[in-house]
Amino acid sequence: MSPFELDEPRTLRKAVALLDAGTACDEPVRAIAGGTALMLMMKAGVFEPARLVSLRRVEKRYAAVRVNREGALHIGAMATLSSLASSAAVKRAAPVITQTLRTLSNVRVRNVATLGGHLAHADPHMDLPPLLTALGAEVRTLSPAGERTLAVGDLYRGYFETVLADNELISEVTVPPLDGWRAAYLKVTTRAADDWPTLGIAVALQMTADTVAAARIVVSAATNTPLRLTAAEDVLRGATLDAATLARCGDAAASGVELAADAHGSSAYKRELLRVYVQRALRQIEKT
Amino acid sequence: MTTTRTIHFTLNGEPVSAQIGTHQNLVEVLQARGLTGARESCAQGLCGCCTVLVNGMAVSACLYLAAFADGAEVRTIEQSNNGELDAVQEAFIECGAFQCGYCTPGFILMTRQLLDAHSDPSEDDIRHYLSGNLCRCAAYPEIIKAVKLAAQKRQDKS
Repeated sequence: MSPFELDEPRTLRKAVALLDAGTACDEPVRAIAGGTALMLMMKAGVFEPARLVSLRRVEKRYAAVRVNREGALHIGAMATLSSLASSAAVKRAAPVITQTLRTLSNVRVRNVATLGGHLAHADPHMDLPPLLTALGAEVRTLSPAGERTLAVGDLYRGYFETVLADNELISEVTVPPLDGWRAAYLKVTTRAADDWPTLGIAVALQMTADTVAAARIVVSAATNTPLRLTAAEDVLRGATLDAATLARCGDAAASGVELAADAHGSSAYKRELLRVYVQRALRQIEKT
Repeated sequence: MTTTRTIHFTLNGEPVSAQIGTHQNLVEVLQARGLTGARESCAQGLCGCCTVLVNGMAVSACLYLAAFADGAEVRTIEQSNNGELDAVQEAFIECGAFQCGYCTPGFILMTRQLLDAHSDPSEDDIRHYLSGNLCRCAAYPEIIKAVKLAAQKRQDKS
């Protein structure tokens, strides 16, 4: 790794101002939170910053986790993944997040990595972007232009690319109250249990008695960004979760999407995995 | 450009300071001080050989900027317990839970963390918790036995 300037501002507003100043003079500048993902890029020489703006000293409230009166979960962007994994508030509001964190990387990375960094890094192999998309979560951001709110599902533009400006930081993530929604996330690893995912599949359903009122199905890891599978969602809407519906949903999921071949498997193999795992995720939801 | 700085931290109970480059990771700084128990192996946070504790939390020191240790309490495998082995170290020796020993400091530190959080972990808990530690000699069955024995030893002592 090559040397760089390191700023450690005390406020998020100051951090945004430093990013803005660096961006304005074309300096390779970037925010660093836990740094577990950025360190890999810097070690590999993929990213050589002139300046990093550390977020570790910004206001403590940006690491807070709370559930509001309506049952919405508010998570500060600087909350570590470990703090979410052990949070009673997260488990109460969205137990599927707690379950997903158990197999997300390892204890040491979770102790350091933050939710904001996890989302902003835009690596399509990460577990929470597809899950938070399925849960209808939103991010709040701060930039010199002010604050804005956007859906996690609208955050990604491409491979390792978000719609955020270079001087814009995620400040908070909000997961809406589940209100009858039930969700599952399945991580498919084809080489070892703790491998990077071959596919990530997140499914959220809102049920009225035995009928699906609304569905969100999201695939990741083999796509450039988390991707809603709307054809598969359409199959479920108004249907009951019988075997024929599940099979049709799996077929619809597998037929409408380009999946990238890599060391984890061929495109055709991943398509078959997707067909099967969408159905497994639906069965898992049925059981909860 | 200011790309060096002096950091002050507590290392195994002793206050220390170090002149560092902002781009250096914590393993490099510890190794320069002659502490070689944490070693960079996979360099990606996957193998656990560089495990150290920062403010009581296990981190991969190869992914941890040394600058972030400023003001922190850092503990490594070298921290002496008055020259005595603790329950986890005893259990690893009794179970022969290593061959070459390269990964052992990381396994010992992670096992202590696990047992601090769960005094009587199930085999599933152990496998999940230690999934980020690799032993290329594949002493995994012995390691799992050692963790269970260490849990027992800790309970007997308390």
